[in-house]
Amino acid sequence: MSDQRPGMFVPALIGGALAGVLSGIPIVNCLCCLWIIGGAILASYLLCKDSSVSLSAGDGAIVGALAGIIAAVVDTIISIPFEALNSRFFQRIVETLREYAEDMPYDWETWIDKSNIGTTTTMMFLGLLFSVVVFTIFGVLGGIIGISIFGKKISKKSQEVIDVSKDANNR
Amino acid sequence: MINLKRKTKIIIVYLFTLSGIIIWIGAIFLGPYLKSKGSNVNTLIYAVFSHVCHQIPERCFFIFGYPLTVCARCLGIYTGFFAGATLYPFIKGFSNLSLPKTKNFILLSIPISIDTLGNLFYVWSTSDLLRFITGFIWGIILPFYFIMGLSDWATSKRNIQEKDYDQEFLEISIKKQIE
Repeated sequence: MSDQRPGMFVPALIGGALAGVLSGIPIVNCLCCLWIIGGAILASYLLCKDSSVSLSAGDGAIVGALAGIIAAVVDTIISIPFEALNSRFFQRIVETLREYAEDMPYDWETWIDKSNIGTTTTMMFLGLLFSVVVFTIFGVLGGIIGISIFGKKISKKSQEVIDVSKDANNR
Repeated sequence: MINLKRKTKIIIVYLFTLSGIIIWIGAIFLGPYLKSKGSNVNTLIYAVFSHVCHQIPERCFFIFGYPLTVCARCLGIYTGFFAGATLYPFIKGFSNLSLPKTKNFILLSIPISIDTLGNLFYVWSTSDLLRFITGFIWGIILPFYFIMGLSDWATSKRNIQEKDYDQEFLEISIKKQIE
């Protein structure tokens, strides 16, 4: 018997990329982890749409995990320009503050330099690592939810056989 | 024997999930505690959670004088997840691998969906407590998906064999009917 399961990469890529973009853009990302769950549900839907066999919750978990990993990578890439924008904005604030330096507390410049850690490469890779782990977990959850909603169908092949049996009985 | 193995796998997945959510919720409270003690580790914890939550202070509960590492809605989802995971053995047991019904999922998603959309489009602005409650209601059903999905994945080899057997059995019986 042939296994007619479709490839998981393309659905995971579409769902993960969409989730990553939406969770990386400021303001839109206020929905927190819901974008990742939503993206994984979309990936499951696309997988079910292309599948001619009924899929298990385990399939949903795998496609969701893939979507989560892709979302983490896309989110990190999308965040880079926004980090740069934030950094420029931060520099302007520091320059403005320098004009009023006499009124500022002692050692405030050192404190600001220490606080501005968001743009370093190490932090970016650490962030990516955290994102991959956390987004994968949320992706797994979304993938399983998606399968439970869209995955209930019997194989076309057995459907055809059932239809034939109905026709035979009708005759 | 096979059923026992399967049950053991489900129990392992359950314990893994329960311990994971306890650590996760613990870390949410650990962030502000460490900040109040002046430890630099708090920066790392806040950074980890910044990937899954906006962390806007006005939308967070405060403890030890500092905001929690996630907003009220996220805290609600995680505590709801914990509550659901605690109730899991009493509701489903460790031998049932059926996923929750879609209508139950939709029903529990209605409060958080209405509240989130209303806030997103500035129709209303709800309190942190209401955000927490709607998140909690939604979070309750999530472990029933998570535990069952991971258990299904862990026992997938056996499931595939069962499916193939069911499929073959169905086809043979239908062919016999036709003949």
